[in-house]
Amino acid sequence: MTTLRFRTVLGLGWVEASLLIRNLLVLAGLLGGGGLVWLIIDQTVPLWWNVSWWIGAGQLILGMAVLIAAQLAAGRPQRAGLADLYASFPASAATRTAGHVAGLTGVVPASLLLAGAASAVVQARGAIGAPDAVVLAGGVLLVIAAGAAGVAIGARLSHPLAGVLFALALFLSSGAYQVLSRAAIWLVPWNIMVNQLDVLPGPLAGYPPAGAHALELAGFAVLAAIVALAVTVRGARARAGLAAAGIAAVAVICFAGALQLRPIPTAGVNRLVSEVADPASVQRCTAAGQVRYCLYPGFGSELASLRAPVRDVLARLPAPPGPVLTIRQVVPLSMSDWTLTHGQPSSDVSRWGTQVENAPANAAAAPKATIYLPVGSWPAAGGQLADANFDLALATAEWAVGIPPQNSGSPAFQPCVPVGQAREAIAIWLAILATRPSADKLHDGLNTGMGGGSTGAGVGNTIVQTWSYPGMGRDYVMAPGGGPQTTAAGYALASAMTSLPQHQISRVLTAAWGKWLNWHTPDTLLARALGIPTPRLRPFLSAPSGGAPAASSAAQSPLCTS
Amino acid sequence: MTLDVSTAAVRVDGLSRRYGATRALDGVDLALERGITGLLGPNGAGKTTLLSILATVGEPDSGRVSVFGFDPRQAVQRVEIRRRLGYLPQELGYHRHFTVAAFLDYVAILKEITGRRRRAEEVARVLAAVGLETRARTRIRALSGGMRQRLGIAQALLGKPDLLVLDEPTAGLDPEQRLRFRELLSSLPGDPVIVLSTHQADDIAAICPHVVVLLQGQVQFTGTPAELAATAAGRVWAAGERDERAHLAWRGGDNRWRHVGDNAPAGAELVAPTVEDGYLLLSHAAGWR
Repeated sequence: MTTLRFRTVLGLGWVEASLLIRNLLVLAGLLGGGGLVWLIIDQTVPLWWNVSWWIGAGQLILGMAVLIAAQLAAGRPQRAGLADLYASFPASAATRTAGHVAGLTGVVPASLLLAGAASAVVQARGAIGAPDAVVLAGGVLLVIAAGAAGVAIGARLSHPLAGVLFALALFLSSGAYQVLSRAAIWLVPWNIMVNQLDVLPGPLAGYPPAGAHALELAGFAVLAAIVALAVTVRGARARAGLAAAGIAAVAVICFAGALQLRPIPTAGVNRLVSEVADPASVQRCTAAGQVRYCLYPGFGSELASLRAPVRDVLARLPAPPGPVLTIRQVVPLSMSDWTLTHGQPSSDVSRWGTQVENAPANAAAAPKATIYLPVGSWPAAGGQLADANFDLALATAEWAVGIPPQNSGSPAFQPCVPVGQAREAIAIWLAILATRPSADKLHDGLNTGMGGGSTGAGVGNTIVQTWSYPGMGRDYVMAPGGGPQTTAAGYALASAMTSLPQHQISRVLTAAWGKWLNWHTPDTLLARALGIPTPRLRPFLSAPSGGAPAASSAAQSPLCTS
Repeated sequence: MTLDVSTAAVRVDGLSRRYGATRALDGVDLALERGITGLLGPNGAGKTTLLSILATVGEPDSGRVSVFGFDPRQAVQRVEIRRRLGYLPQELGYHRHFTVAAFLDYVAILKEITGRRRRAEEVARVLAAVGLETRARTRIRALSGGMRQRLGIAQALLGKPDLLVLDEPTAGLDPEQRLRFRELLSSLPGDPVIVLSTHQADDIAAICPHVVVLLQGQVQFTGTPAELAATAAGRVWAAGERDERAHLAWRGGDNRWRHVGDNAPAGAELVAPTVEDGYLLLSHAAGWR
């Protein structure tokens, strides 16, 4: 390339870069990508090994916008009716294309801004682990590759829809797991649908294969630029040079693809499975009063957030509970996921599967003195954290009053229902006092059925109206088998108790704490002791005398009897 | 490469171009010298095809073109021609969201004016030349049709080209702008070769030392405007009544009929012919209506 042509490319690149920087589409992509990352990190305490990849998903949105913007820019002369004029200039079509490719430097600041701002926010929200620079760099390369693809498309197809369609294809490729073997899922530009990064207790080498993927994206960027130039360049010598460069780029892409298809190092999977199956072997436990918090290394910053609701429940108990409560992180890992196990010997896969099946998170029964917290599900802030606090407080209170997660009788390991039991109202009352959720939110739990109606559970020959507490079913707290089912009656009495002075309730509870913990003690007795009427619920379904439950669709659940 | 100015600046030999069954150019021979050459011809005569070939945008089916000694069929020489070329196509689009100055700056880069300062000076110069200096920051979509045409002329002037190919540059210009355009072309420095296609015979008469009439893809006349006008000498009359034998007749502002044809109307008096009269008679003779 002559100096003059090189300077022309630089000049065009400078102009195109400044146009891209100010491009509204790129700005929209930046905001969209940032919004996506925000949605992800807004939900849980961010884990860097997961969020680094999600920042790349934000870059995918930016990349789609850049692809469209670059395609529009490259096809601008044709659309504007300037093709004849441009053809009369000494700067050839190939020079103009090279200028467009050089102009992609204009999207690098936007991509870096997205990565930098998202990283700063993630770090500020108490992220666990450390950012993965290679994954973050891969996101920037994704944007550049998308832009180069846009130039290649625009050099051939100037219609605005062409860019939109290819951007859509780029997005759809991110979820191509339905047509690809899951081992090959890392080959798509940016996989955002299938992975278990969000539940890992720490980074796993080779998952994702970030370095090889960045190399693949770099290869794609170069290949797209070569295709763009090949569309416009003239002369056999130039075409031959481009063909050689294209072959080299394809070779790099294939090499990177082969690297990504390699199995994850067995030692890493072994260690992961071991950490999942036997959390106690690696977790660090911190004792606080009668509670042990056992967390994976690096998760210590979550401790303060976990302790608050537990401490506030235990502080209101009339008498300390006997055994020590353990609150333990668990990993709901699936070893049927080929992204983790592809290429591994089947004997190893089988062994890992067995180990993980027996892990605490997958056990059918939960130990009575343990509350499990799935890794990656604890919220960072906001309403979700309030819900999670209530969930944990209620689990603690249920443990304190002796309500088991499941009935151990027959049928075994099913969520039990503490129908009419005084201790249920006490547990809910303790959780409410510890976390202070709004009355409206609590009341809404009575109307979570279809059309805002009630829900029920069949117990014996009765349909019992149930109550969905804040955070229920969100997996903040994991109760193997499902955990006890709270009743509307228990909530109603607990709600009525909150209107009484706390010392009055404490006096009543302290006077006969053992009696109140007995599952035989009815809630009506507690109401009478407190001097309040037993709340009357809206009439619900009840079984005809001596017959089967009226609502046969309601699942049968055992009574909590221990 | 060095500029070859020893021979005719632009030579066209036996140029032919077909579009399907239509023969747009049919063995055109031309030699263009420095100065302004007006290209006259009706719609479909092949003017735009000829100009696009001169601008290295179109390619002939046969024949040769030489611009300052460079052969546009050779890639390297074609670039040399383009480095000396300013071209205004007949139908020019614009990047409507660009500002006037940004568009000219972009074109300047495409013309390989890579130095920022020089580019800025060039943009300022051509803006002043077409009277758009106050519109530098205006977006193109906000310009009137006439202003856009002036912007098209301005981009052609970037880089002080040695060859200016202007396809109907005065279309859309109001009378004052047309006069300013004449002034602009007449005062261009460096004595470039200017080929100007137009339907406005008075523009040709006013500023073109040379005129070429193209009819049905063939050159029907080359010479000066006076020579073109002279071809109508003795065949233009003024009379009080219209004579049906005239090739063309129209009533002028003095309420007298001007007749162009071979037969003298009764009571008519001969009047001095114009370039337009010469052109009309040529096109009539070629069977063009």
